Amino acid sequence: MTAVPRFRNLPVTVRVPLITAALMIILALVASQSVLGALGRVQDARLSETARLHVEGLAVALGPSVLRQDVWEVYDILDRARQASDGQRLLLTVVADERGHVLAATDPRRAPVGEDAAEFGLGAVAPEAVRMTGDPVLRVASPLLYQGRTIGGIVTELDVTDLLAERRQVTLWLLFGNALATVLLAFGGWLAVARILRPVGALVQAMDSSGGAPRPIPQAAIPHGDPGLARLIVTYNQMTTAVEERAEAERRLADRERFVSLGRLSSALAHEVNNPLGGLLNAADTIRTYADRPDVVRQSAELMQRGLAHLRDVTRAMLDQNRLDRAGQPLRPEDFEDLRLLFEPEAHSRNIALAWEVQAGATVLASQPAAPVRQVALNLLLNAGAAAGQNGQVGLKVSNGGDQLSIVVSNTGSAMSEADLRRLLASGPLPPGGGVGLRLVHDIVSGLGGTLHHDRAEGRTVIRVDLPAMGSGHA
Amino acid sequence: MGQHRKGVGIRRDGQLWILCRQRISSNSDLTDHLARIKVTSAKGSDRYGPKIAEDEVHTRRSAILAGAAFCAAPMVRAQGAAPFRFALTPVFLDNDAAVIAALRTALGEAMGREIELVQRRTYQEITGALLDGSVDAAWTCGYPYLQHRDQLSLLGVPVWRGAPLYQSYLIVAAGDAATSLADLQGGAHAFSDPDSNSGYLVTASDLARIGATPDGFFSRSIFTYGHRNVVRAVAGGLTRSGSVDGYVWEVLNSVEPGLTARTRVISRSEDLGFPPFVARSDRIEEVGITACMAALQGLGKADRGQEVLRLLFLDAVVPADPALFNGIATRMAELSGG
Repeated sequence: MTAVPRFRNLPVTVRVPLITAALMIILALVASQSVLGALGRVQDARLSETARLHVEGLAVALGPSVLRQDVWEVYDILDRARQASDGQRLLLTVVADERGHVLAATDPRRAPVGEDAAEFGLGAVAPEAVRMTGDPVLRVASPLLYQGRTIGGIVTELDVTDLLAERRQVTLWLLFGNALATVLLAFGGWLAVARILRPVGALVQAMDSSGGAPRPIPQAAIPHGDPGLARLIVTYNQMTTAVEERAEAERRLADRERFVSLGRLSSALAHEVNNPLGGLLNAADTIRTYADRPDVVRQSAELMQRGLAHLRDVTRAMLDQNRLDRAGQPLRPEDFEDLRLLFEPEAHSRNIALAWEVQAGATVLASQPAAPVRQVALNLLLNAGAAAGQNGQVGLKVSNGGDQLSIVVSNTGSAMSEADLRRLLASGPLPPGGGVGLRLVHDIVSGLGGTLHHDRAEGRTVIRVDLPAMGSGHA
Repeated sequence: MGQHRKGVGIRRDGQLWILCRQRISSNSDLTDHLARIKVTSAKGSDRYGPKIAEDEVHTRRSAILAGAAFCAAPMVRAQGAAPFRFALTPVFLDNDAAVIAALRTALGEAMGREIELVQRRTYQEITGALLDGSVDAAWTCGYPYLQHRDQLSLLGVPVWRGAPLYQSYLIVAAGDAATSLADLQGGAHAFSDPDSNSGYLVTASDLARIGATPDGFFSRSIFTYGHRNVVRAVAGGLTRSGSVDGYVWEVLNSVEPGLTARTRVISRSEDLGFPPFVARSDRIEEVGITACMAALQGLGKADRGQEVLRLLFLDAVVPADPALFNGIATRMAELSGG
């Protein structure tokens, strides 16, 4: 992820105000340029008019004096004109004679009488052509006409510092005003857009914060003023309900799976119960028949006790498998004995060779919760038994490497189908059809923070479940 | 008393017109009396652009002038007699309309007749007008008076700081290091008028003493036709130095210290006869001229006259002796002799 997210990645609630602000800035620039342009034209016109009036007025007054080369008169007129002129606009006015020598100037120290006036004409323009150039001092030159002939020239330096300052002031105010307006409008735009898009934000939040379980948006938060958005949110709510219902159905299905697995065992288990029952009934009959023979009664009673104990073990294992209040109980070696008890009839019914090996110590086993691990192992054994078929082989090996508990269930027989593997190893949506046992294994192992590994080699399918040691709470 | 209705206007040529209607009380009839006072600008309107001419009129001093004219108007008698024409030169206190108006008022009041104050640009014009009779009397300079001593007679001479004397000042810009006339060689110089004693003759004769002429000694010499203009030319840097009437410089130093502060006096001449009031000798016996002489010499006795003297920073006008101008005559001799 980059430090500065790309513009298109920004939320729409940020992007729209940014676009608004950008448009405002462009608008402000265009408006400012237009205002400054108009101001510049006004100032140029004012300047040009000032220069023209000044030069024309002087030309009228100066004509005869320049013709007579009367230095004092020329100076006197310039000096009076300077004093009469408003402010300090006219910095210097130089009047030159026909030969281009200074006749007089408002500041004779800068332009001494008799000096060459050419240097004062550098950069000078005609009064009507004078324009603001950014230079605080502008020069205007005009020939001095008298009675139809040119008798000299006038150069005037105009001080436009105030006009420049005015322009600067206007620029600053425009900048400040536009910046303020832009900020206000961008903020307003953001508020408006944020308000308009609040339902979208709520939608995104509802989808994000639910951690995979979409949460419906309350009816009050649906913007009924915006039909499009309202429809979108209503659709979303319907979708969340559907997802919830599906999750609920899956949950119910998973709960049922435990009974399903028992259901699959029931015939074998019934057989297991039925077998000792014949012996038990025989023993009961023997006792009744030979009630007076204590040795026979004792022998039969012992036989009955063994049969009943077996029945008790089988029913306890079944009860334990289904008791919900065992949740949170630590795993014990006896749990695997129970599993064996539950699975052995199934194995016998198919003449499956069972390789049962529990190596893990009680301490490592105790770090795992009993119910989920039993469910995982039973589901895998049932699956392995089904896959192994008649005369197959099924193996269970429980071992520990450090704190980690490994349960390996292997079987001969056909390999797992692609669909079954997906159920077991992936968390994607379940394809239609098929049971949920393998998916339940996957979900439980994920919930315990463990991992599932599948391997198929030499005609054997090997499923390994690695479970990390849980917290001390389970110890 | 009569009822007054007044009006003031500026003509396109820059002349100021003042209209005063006076209803003279009488039992049966009311006579509207129209007094028209014309102020003729010494600087003809053709010499400046219209805008500048108007600016001149629209000064604070013009307002005072107008006010003074209103006060004067009821005094004017409609006798059909030609106004007494009195000439002034801007060489003195250029533009000081308040002084000019007060002077007209005071003279008019003392002489009992309308006064037309005539201002010309140069002493030469004033002298010419005086000699050809187009003006009756004039306040001029000792130098033109001496130039036409045979045709002109003295009506009186002002007393300034206790004596009818003044000096010519040589001035430079405040930051100039020059200390004497000799240091000014090669620079531009401002004179006031070729017929001015303090504004030309003194410096020209000083140069003549060392065998120099203004044109040769200075790089450029200009005539500004006004002592105040000389101060402006030097203060503004148009010329390096200037020859100015010491009295004018001192008065300016009081009323426009900002202007004189930009100049520095580097030398002062000896005391010379103050610019006198003169009239043509052949008309000295005329009623108007004698009335004028009496009015001038009596300025210190009348309220309005005292006002004029106060505005001019003068003490009085006293009868003059031609010998007062001997100093100027000496310099004239030096200049022509040189």
